[in-house]
Amino acid sequence: MLGASYALVAIGYTLIFGVLNLLYFAQGEVFMLGAFVGLYLVVYAGAGIYGAILGAMIICGAFGVVAVFVAVRPVSKDRPLAPLISTIGLTIILQNLAVYIFGGQQLAFPETIEQKLYHFGPVTISSAQLFILAVAVTLMVLLWLFIERTKMGRAIRATAENHETAALLGVDVNRVVLITFIIGSSIAGVAGVLDGIKNSNISPFMGLGAAVKGLIVMLLGGLGNVPGAMVAGLMLGMIEILSAAYIGTTERDFFSFLILILILLWRPTGLFGTRIVEQR
Amino acid sequence: MFDGLIDGYTQSILIFTGINIIAAYSFFAPFKTGQVSIGQAGFMAVGAYASATLTQKYAIPFLIALPIGGLIAGVVGVVIGFPALRIKGIYLLLLTLGFSEIIQVVVLSWDYVGGAQGFRNIPFNPRTLDYVIVVIVAMIVFFGRLERSSLGRAMDSIHQDETAAEVMGIDVVRLKLLAFGVGALVAGLAGALYAHHATYIDSTTFNVMMSVEILTFVVVGGSSTYWGPAVGATVLTLLPELLRTLRDWLELLPVEWTSFSPMNRIYDFLYGFLDFENAKRLIAYGIVLIVMMIVRPDGLLTRDSIPHWRPVRRKVAHA
Repeated sequence: MLGASYALVAIGYTLIFGVLNLLYFAQGEVFMLGAFVGLYLVVYAGAGIYGAILGAMIICGAFGVVAVFVAVRPVSKDRPLAPLISTIGLTIILQNLAVYIFGGQQLAFPETIEQKLYHFGPVTISSAQLFILAVAVTLMVLLWLFIERTKMGRAIRATAENHETAALLGVDVNRVVLITFIIGSSIAGVAGVLDGIKNSNISPFMGLGAAVKGLIVMLLGGLGNVPGAMVAGLMLGMIEILSAAYIGTTERDFFSFLILILILLWRPTGLFGTRIVEQR
Repeated sequence: MFDGLIDGYTQSILIFTGINIIAAYSFFAPFKTGQVSIGQAGFMAVGAYASATLTQKYAIPFLIALPIGGLIAGVVGVVIGFPALRIKGIYLLLLTLGFSEIIQVVVLSWDYVGGAQGFRNIPFNPRTLDYVIVVIVAMIVFFGRLERSSLGRAMDSIHQDETAAEVMGIDVVRLKLLAFGVGALVAGLAGALYAHHATYIDSTTFNVMMSVEILTFVVVGGSSTYWGPAVGATVLTLLPELLRTLRDWLELLPVEWTSFSPMNRIYDFLYGFLDFENAKRLIAYGIVLIVMMIVRPDGLLTRDSIPHWRPVRRKVAHA
């Protein structure tokens, strides 16, 4: 269930891109932060896996607030590259802070879920994989309900469609941006913990790969399209597993990027349509 | 050119600064027509591997392999530039990112150029610094001339409003392709120079973070003027090195000044704090990026901050 964590990272990207039209580069590092918070909660605070997930959500959400106040709000929005560079600065800071604090080596993620194998006909699934999938799908459904059914969710959709109109209609755009960052970051934090469970080791450099894969998934699902990102994440996970199994592990990444380029050339709106129409 | 004048460390720093300046110009060229690329490291990889293959496997002198490496990267750039014409903004960013990742996968799995072991034993070029200086001077002259030429102005107009430029009769397709190809060519030169200085390259040498750094050089230096990339690359490459020397400055203080009670504590604290190893230096780098974007979102240099250096015309005394 490789794709579940990609999907969660991509949802964060796509939400923030939808609202701010900003490629939030630090998303991968937030993912790494979540994994480390989860590890420390399990190893030093004796928390269970649910405690680790909750803790990662809270810490990463708090980091989302910091990111908005440090690198997004003070930077002028009419220069398209300025917020990109400031969040790149944030990425570099976060990654090297992690190297400084945790050291540059890989750490083993503790086993928190009993390992069991389930057989469904020819398919074998481990209990950890089921758990990852269950957590990811639950989160996605909750998020979808939040966006489609609540007042705040409607405000987010309105802001994504048009900043000025939303502001004129009484939406507090600054608050929407803040909430979006909190949601996007906390989801990426959960993805980090899930990735730790899956790969059973984490390092301060795990963020970049997740960030790039998250971008592919965001594009595959259509920019700003949250359910699209969910489906596309699971799809990319499948494609990677199949190409690794039948072709080779080096070529695995080749396929994901080939998909990226093909999508860009023939269906820039992604497989499931996009909510953002300008700037194509 | 500078034999015996500077030590090896300084020379190495100067070479890397120079290569970064060239790489920054490679981003600047397509950006002049509004194309933002985070795949310049991919073109550097093409130039580096192509020229290294020529010099190492076919024993062709570097002076010939360098332009050939650049040209191959330029041709690849034009090929990539064609599909890039159709898309803009974040889509182009992602396309170039995907391209450079594919290059990485290709060199990783291609055993002819070393594969996972990397490309070893590339002939060392002892005169890299001279080459770098020549290329930089050529860049500055070229982009300086371009900025004031009709071609450069046409490119600026595409950057500002593509539709308007097209309506004015500018061949948008040709210019965008040209700019993208020139950028790739310059990146190829930078990559070739790097390969023959480092003598070892592998698939992780030219990664996404390198492309991102190249982008930050130009934006921090100022993307609206041709001096910007050079200034940005110089400042951002030398800054971490300067942080290293802060501690040496502290040691210059006379001992009598810092031997009594409060001062020695402060001295010890500062001494520990100024120990800029790698992670801490990069953290400082990130902070500089954020502060720069808050204080000067247009970059260090803008068009207004540079007086146009034209030959001063003598006033003709009218009789």
